[in-house]
Amino acid sequence: MDESPFQIDTRGEFAFPENHRFDAGYGLTEATIDYICDAKGEPDWVRQFRKDALKRFHEMPMPTHWAPEGINNLDFDQIRYYLAHGTAPYKSWDDVPDDVKRTFERLGVPEQERAFLAGVDAQYDSETAYNNMREELSKQGVIFVNSTEGLREYEHIFRPWFGKVIPVNDNKFSALNHAAFSGGSFIYVPKGVKLAQPLQAYFRINSESMGQFERTLIIADEGAELMYMEGCTAPKYDSATLHSGVVELVALKGAKIQYVTVQNWATNVYNLVIQRGLAMEDAEIRWIDCNIGSGLTMKYPAVVLQGRRARGEVVSISLAHSGQLQDTGARMIHAAPETTSNIVAKSISIGEGRASYRGEVNVLKGMKGCKNNTECDALLINPTSRTDTYPAISVNGNASAVQHEASVSQVDEEMLFYMQQRGLTRAQAMSLAVNGFINDLVKEFPMEYSVELRRLIDLEMEDSIG
Amino acid sequence: MSMEEAFALAEAEAKLQQALAEGKQRFENAVVPNRYNEDWRFGRPNKYAAALVELLQSDTASSGKAEVKNAGDAAMVVTRDDDDLRQTEMLMPSIGSDALLGMHLKRFGSGYALFIEKSISEPIHIYYSTGGLYTPSTFIMVAPGVKAEVIEHHAADTPEATMFVTRNIHVAEGSELSVSLHSSGFSRYMCITDIQNMGGKVHHLTTHDNTLWTREETVAEIYAGTESTCNNLYSANRPAGESILDQHTRQIHHVGGAASDLLYKNVVDDNATAIFAGNIYVATGAHHTDAYQSNRNMLLSEKATIHSLPGLEILADKVRCSHGSASAPMDDEQLFYMCSRGIPRREAQLLVAEGFLAEVINKFRALSQSS
Repeated sequence: MDESPFQIDTRGEFAFPENHRFDAGYGLTEATIDYICDAKGEPDWVRQFRKDALKRFHEMPMPTHWAPEGINNLDFDQIRYYLAHGTAPYKSWDDVPDDVKRTFERLGVPEQERAFLAGVDAQYDSETAYNNMREELSKQGVIFVNSTEGLREYEHIFRPWFGKVIPVNDNKFSALNHAAFSGGSFIYVPKGVKLAQPLQAYFRINSESMGQFERTLIIADEGAELMYMEGCTAPKYDSATLHSGVVELVALKGAKIQYVTVQNWATNVYNLVIQRGLAMEDAEIRWIDCNIGSGLTMKYPAVVLQGRRARGEVVSISLAHSGQLQDTGARMIHAAPETTSNIVAKSISIGEGRASYRGEVNVLKGMKGCKNNTECDALLINPTSRTDTYPAISVNGNASAVQHEASVSQVDEEMLFYMQQRGLTRAQAMSLAVNGFINDLVKEFPMEYSVELRRLIDLEMEDSIG
Repeated sequence: MSMEEAFALAEAEAKLQQALAEGKQRFENAVVPNRYNEDWRFGRPNKYAAALVELLQSDTASSGKAEVKNAGDAAMVVTRDDDDLRQTEMLMPSIGSDALLGMHLKRFGSGYALFIEKSISEPIHIYYSTGGLYTPSTFIMVAPGVKAEVIEHHAADTPEATMFVTRNIHVAEGSELSVSLHSSGFSRYMCITDIQNMGGKVHHLTTHDNTLWTREETVAEIYAGTESTCNNLYSANRPAGESILDQHTRQIHHVGGAASDLLYKNVVDDNATAIFAGNIYVATGAHHTDAYQSNRNMLLSEKATIHSLPGLEILADKVRCSHGSASAPMDDEQLFYMCSRGIPRREAQLLVAEGFLAEVINKFRALSQSS
């Protein structure tokens, strides 16, 4: 098996004592919002914006008529909405407080930055602890800051798109994020600038009952290209922790954005993230999504294909262990002619784990020459594992082609027998088979991640085959 | 009767009573389809279901004509006081339409029940027709080891007619039933079907023609399975004009070792909309299940719409399950080939559409005739 070049603790099952300068307490009220705004020193329009969103949040119903039942166990009053060491990120690892620094060192973030990243944003609970980008990039006009700074310093760039791809009214969790957002990355890549190396964000929840509401907005101007990666971990607590981020991508004419997520939250984390991209003429957006952790994940990366010949793609891997529900999928909205999209989703259910694919492909009226291809494959490891597929495909008009295929299978006994006969243990044989199942998707991840991913899957498999 | 037999009988009776009590509860708690009902997604319940609800709740009496052919002594008219059949209908599942099923039960007491105890070579025909509102129930029970074919014709005498049918099909071990249903010409047509397969073979075909709004709910359940046990569901339709065709299916495998297949094909023209929402459910422990589900659509006009929701819920392993859905315009090359041989474009289109749907009919016929 490949050994990772980095000694990284990808599970992140450790925690440091809480040490917060800012703590907004439990529950979300107007007072909480004032506290957050005062701490961050935000302009009045943001304060008003948050308060309007809070109203919408209270008014809107939970998405209960189709969401998994687990979501009803979530108690919004038992969540802490803002916890921070400080409100301004450090630009050098030396200045970062010791416990935070040690956290990210154990997770391997600084090493990765030196090795292959163009910039890093490391979020610890509610605020970004560290943010840095290579100097030559800022000279080219690339902006890579956290949400507070983005709205304060670069209002003219970010405000026009802020909350436009995913509006407040989109759903209850969107409203919640609009009210309580903190941290995340705001990125602007100017016309024609192509980033050779990826930018990375690292989200870490350290405190109990924490609600992390990161907010990311990436704008790739005409012809620009970038890859953005995010990693997520949290220690395991007894009480529920909520991660409800909003990620908006805007790819202007001919731009390309790749967004890579490797999520490995502890199983007490509700991972309810809304991710949506807007692809203009000839633009391309790819979501590469890997869900390994969290107790309940509801995540359906979307691309709105708004301009002619725009392209959208979702590549998704999810792994559901006992006690986990991975409700993942993809959405493709074909709102312009000649747009194409591709969805490839693979899931693995282990023990009593449940993995669901939920997707939507919609070719709007009058759109000609649109094409979509969807493939979902599920692998069941144990007799008690469960997998579901819930696609919804709508096509208006006779000038588009859409196809969907899904299959469910299990690891072939003969295959395992063959490998065991040649000296592999059953667990080794199983993890080899599982790695083979997702092999073609793992290749889509950047090299460092794909090595990591294989290691993670080996680890997960070891536990499940006794 | 031995002690054990008496005990088993008492237990079965207690179970039935409990199921009936639960069934009653189910209708009392049921709400008429609304837009929060996942089983009515894209089906615009506020428009279409509401109109049917209004009619069913009105004073309009259910009236229509029912006839059978070739049934011999197997056929029996369903009457209001037939409590056994009424109970069967009470216990049947629906796909998001419990409230409507409850209203159907209030109008229970027409249609035909077939108790097929020996194999018949000629197909049995059932005819239902109406010019107003008609709510018949069909029951088909096939005894062990028996082979039979049933063809149901549901026709409208006037274009304003509404029909709402429930169908209970029960197939015993080792028997084989081919059943096809053809409906045509209604303003509203709804049909809820429950197929209970106890270890036999069922081939089921539906076609719906010229009806403004059609809702089909078909639940095919396998309760006992051997290698040869199968439920095969087929449908071929050509909605055109302003038609809405709303089809929902469930392939439920309570036990393992059996197979089910589904192929629903639609050619959608003009302003018509076709909705297909299917689901394969493999229960916990139903290992070695083999299930397939396929929905294929051909769109002929710019304003035609399809919604396809092929679902899977798998709670067992060692299963082979897959589904597919594809929607595409008509192949231009095929049209060009025919046009270049002097066939007018419109006619060529009809031929291609016919060929597309013929696959379904041929598959069903091949299975029916082998029996």
